[in-house]
Amino acid sequence: MTTARRSRSRTGAALALALAALAVAPASAHRRDEYLQAARIGIESRRVQVSLDLTPGIAIADSILTEIDRDHDRRLTPEETRAYTNRVLSDIQLSLDGRPLALTVVRSQYADVPALLSGEGAIQLQLFATLTPQAAGEHALVFVNRHRPDIGAYLANALAPADQFVSVVDQKRDVNQRELAITYALQTVEAPPMAWPVPAIAGTLVIAAAARSLQLRRERRQR
Amino acid sequence: MRSLPRLSLTLGVFGMAIAGVATVVAQRAGAPATGAAPPADATAKIVAAAQAVSAALDDAGRQKLQFAFDNPVKGPGWSNLPVSMVARNGIKLGDLTPAQRTAVMTLMSTALSPNGYRKVTEIMKGDETLKTNQGGRGGRGGGPMFGEDLYFLAFFGAPSTTTPWMLQFGGHHLAINLTLAGSNSSMTPSLPAAQPATYTIEGRQIRPLGRETDKAFELINALDEKLRSQAILSYRVADLVLGPGQDGRVIQPEGLRASALTAAQQALLLDIIREWAGIVTDAFAEPRMAEIKANLPQTYFAWSGPTSPGSVAYFRVQGPTLVIEYAPQGNVDHIHTIYRDPTNDYGKKIAK
Repeated sequence: MTTARRSRSRTGAALALALAALAVAPASAHRRDEYLQAARIGIESRRVQVSLDLTPGIAIADSILTEIDRDHDRRLTPEETRAYTNRVLSDIQLSLDGRPLALTVVRSQYADVPALLSGEGAIQLQLFATLTPQAAGEHALVFVNRHRPDIGAYLANALAPADQFVSVVDQKRDVNQRELAITYALQTVEAPPMAWPVPAIAGTLVIAAAARSLQLRRERRQR
Repeated sequence: MRSLPRLSLTLGVFGMAIAGVATVVAQRAGAPATGAAPPADATAKIVAAAQAVSAALDDAGRQKLQFAFDNPVKGPGWSNLPVSMVARNGIKLGDLTPAQRTAVMTLMSTALSPNGYRKVTEIMKGDETLKTNQGGRGGRGGGPMFGEDLYFLAFFGAPSTTTPWMLQFGGHHLAINLTLAGSNSSMTPSLPAAQPATYTIEGRQIRPLGRETDKAFELINALDEKLRSQAILSYRVADLVLGPGQDGRVIQPEGLRASALTAAQQALLLDIIREWAGIVTDAFAEPRMAEIKANLPQTYFAWSGPTSPGSVAYFRVQGPTLVIEYAPQGNVDHIHTIYRDPTNDYGKKIAK
């Protein structure tokens, strides 16, 4: 996969080949008439990361491409991909405890035109939202994807948190996974709990040393 | 006060005894089952078969076959997609002489269990069937898109009995990534998939992924209503969540925890898992199964879709060192699966 810009001649040739592929390989297509939209959501103490992969099936790829390629020259310019990314973004809602969060695009990568037309190329968006400091306890993060519900097939999953202060308590979705409500617990960041074996072992050693010292003193006195 | 030192001594001895027993149990769990060769012997046989492939090639072929162990093309070089859409690494079977091709398949039969080798070759034959049914062309440039000739082999690192190296074999609907580091191995991530999932050759019905399909339906139907309701997800799952391109990601587990299963149901679950963990040769499959079994209480089984055999249904098995997903692509004749170990994909744990 490459980013959007490609030379006109290469694109023209590739497009012709892709159309030829489209004509002879229909049964190979994965999810012909659906627009797969897979979201993976990572929660940290101070931010939320959303990875969104959009893969149009072969039967609807041309209509999605037309939506992106506004001047219909079969080339995807940075302006066109930026505009489409913003359109997707406007269809996504993220909220924490009922308050909307602003999503920022970190990276966007568009498969080339032939790959998109073949029904296998993906548009990959990396998004994030910054969180203000949250109180310890449970919080509700809600992700809603309303992009192309007429043809969308959705996946939405919370990633296992890499942040030691965050743990996912529950995930609830609608039947089509367009909406994912994640309940997560946040521990107090300032005072992380010490792992129990450390004080336990230290305490045992101190008691054992004190006992041994007392025993030696008693033995000396007895002598 | 005299009893305190005695108590600490007793506790120390007790702790050492527990540690000793745990070590013995762990060693036994990691030992191959009766009949399986020791892992070091298996490594030696695979290395010899890999060196035979190298020896059968000319210089240009060897150059195509061999990559540095840390070459970053290893990750993007496998997929469920046809090779015309995602380029694979290494030498192509279709470019080889019959003797060279035999050397490659001998290597695969050495590295895999009989059931694993059967699965791999049936996936490849299925792709040949797809080629026949579709006229066989459609790749970029009008070239072939499917077929047994379009499978590739690459080595990352020189085959060795001591230093880490990886064997990557695959094409459309197949990826085997087997890392060996001395007597340790990792066969993740791997992707056995099938289209068609059922076909006939010389009157014999072939189902490359038939065993895992049947076993999964057996387990979901062996659960009582309460357990089944915990296993069944309330939403549709359209595809693999942790498929190609999702290296390093771990999702929050969902579904039914295996600790809630009866011993018989746990045995069924382990039997499903073995369909992936047992693709590799038995000497490596047995310690891997022991590790998965030890983690079974923290392992989850999740299901999405109808439960009557023959239905289109997704399932996932996820534990601390395991992810298996099985995802039909809208019908039962086109199935994607993925097998991962989030702690040891590409042998990252054993290659240190």
